[in-house]
Amino acid sequence: MSDYIVRFNLQQRVEHFISMVVFCLLCLTGLPQKFYTAGWAHTLVAGLGGIDATRWIHRICGLTLALSTVVHFANAIYAMLSKRVGFSMVPTRKDFEDAILQLKYYLGLTEEHPHYDRYDYKQKFEYWGLIFGNLIIISSGLILFFPTSAALLIPGELIPAAKMAHSNEGLLAFLTITIWHIFNAHLNPDVFPFDASIFTGKISRERMVHEHPVELARLEGGAPIDVHAAGAHGNRREVG
Amino acid sequence: MTKTGLAILLAGIASTAWAGIPAEQEDCLGCHTDPAQTFDLPSGEKLSLFVDQEAFAKSVHGEALRCTECHADKTSDHATGELKFKTRREVTKAYYEQCKGCHFANYTKTLDGVHFAVMAKGNDKAALCVDCHGAHDISHPAQPRTRISKMCARCHAKEAEVYANSVHGRAAETSPDVPVCTDCHRAHDTTDPRDGALARRTPEICGRCHGDEKLMARYGLSTKVIDTYLADFHGMAASFQKGKKSGPGVRLAAVCTDCHGVHDIQKPTDPQSTVMAANLQKTCQKCHPDANASFPKAWLSHYEPTPQKAPIVWGVLLFYKILIPFMMGGLVLQIALHLWRVVVNR
Repeated sequence: MSDYIVRFNLQQRVEHFISMVVFCLLCLTGLPQKFYTAGWAHTLVAGLGGIDATRWIHRICGLTLALSTVVHFANAIYAMLSKRVGFSMVPTRKDFEDAILQLKYYLGLTEEHPHYDRYDYKQKFEYWGLIFGNLIIISSGLILFFPTSAALLIPGELIPAAKMAHSNEGLLAFLTITIWHIFNAHLNPDVFPFDASIFTGKISRERMVHEHPVELARLEGGAPIDVHAAGAHGNRREVG
Repeated sequence: MTKTGLAILLAGIASTAWAGIPAEQEDCLGCHTDPAQTFDLPSGEKLSLFVDQEAFAKSVHGEALRCTECHADKTSDHATGELKFKTRREVTKAYYEQCKGCHFANYTKTLDGVHFAVMAKGNDKAALCVDCHGAHDISHPAQPRTRISKMCARCHAKEAEVYANSVHGRAAETSPDVPVCTDCHRAHDTTDPRDGALARRTPEICGRCHGDEKLMARYGLSTKVIDTYLADFHGMAASFQKGKKSGPGVRLAAVCTDCHGVHDIQKPTDPQSTVMAANLQKTCQKCHPDANASFPKAWLSHYEPTPQKAPIVWGVLLFYKILIPFMMGGLVLQIALHLWRVVVNR
């Protein structure tokens, strides 16, 4: 039995890497525009070569994000239709039950820990948050990029609404990533300091046992391992 | 001292005011008394040698200066019939340096001004101290304030005429609040408006009055115009473009004057106004050539988003004002619970 399991294929790793890079650049070029009165915003914009350069970097990164979202969806739909993969990201009833059980566990109301499949409810939440966020931020971003063309298709009143949505959705995304994603992928004691699986594509079997037992069982054609009986790590690891 | 006594004393001072000015301590005024007295310059111009003693006595310098304090090189035996100047303008230019001795700060400012820059490039007509202030008849420039605009109009007639018909120009005669030329362009370090640097500063320049609660209350005008402008796409971009100069290939965000006009600013309710609803599409098209009739509605007309003025924008803002704290609160709470359980398990 191998110690490692391939969790992410090359395309998924590349998609994550592109999202990560453009997201950082988008925050770096977008936030100073939102907080334009702050001193740091002016220092940052000047460092990036002025507001015009800042906006071009932002637009190019935005278009890259839009393109990668389209490619991601095209691939996902194709893969699902050709039945190569299951609907592993689709939220199910189990996710809601898992979330409740997980919270009960955190609160110490139960010693039973949810048994997760390929993606747990937190990962699905973040994924769909990103997808819906992208839809809002890309469509509003395009309206702001081409305001006169947008006015041909939508009422002019929607342009400032798009600006409001873009600016706040950007802040929401920034906060979600800095609080939630940084915690789950870096500061979470289970993975601290760095969950490398999205870069290497590999995850240890040990982690699979604890974090994705249902998927592991399916992969290995057996019944889910009872994590609570797994022993060695006891309850200590069962917090993720 | 009684009131009558004070009045007599003041009358006495007033009546002797120009009889005993310092300039009389020198011999100059003995000769320079004839209005017809002139000197023929090589250019063919006649240089008047007449000094209107009464006008000089009433001027700001009347009580303070003797003739040779400005005309330093002149002595009582200077009437040799020789002058180094070829033209009338050369005489004026020669005296540019004379004011510096006392008015050093303002003199230094002029060196940064557009008039000095233009003169340095060889334009003899560019304004020097005396062109604006006068020579022997210098009085306080802002009495009355409208005198300033009239003075600029002597050279800038076209601009002055447009200004006179604007909302500011029309009110200038009766209101002490409206701007005259120097309020925006400055007096000594007058900015060259052509490179766009002055325009970049209009949110601040216009804001000095239009952000002043007390002043605007007198006219029933909103002081939110500056903040609402800055919060919008143009204002935010403009605040990052401070100090940037216009030129080929440089796109600068619209500032106050790009929409409202410069010298021709009118009330937004005036049919001539560039920002009147009916004229707005044309104004937008100056920068956005493809702007259709719906495009100007993208601008909230300096209103803050409220359910009445901009319900959609207001709704979106409200949505995020609730969603962001709710979402972040939930995530932070879950992280806190998670870490708490980690600690408990240990």
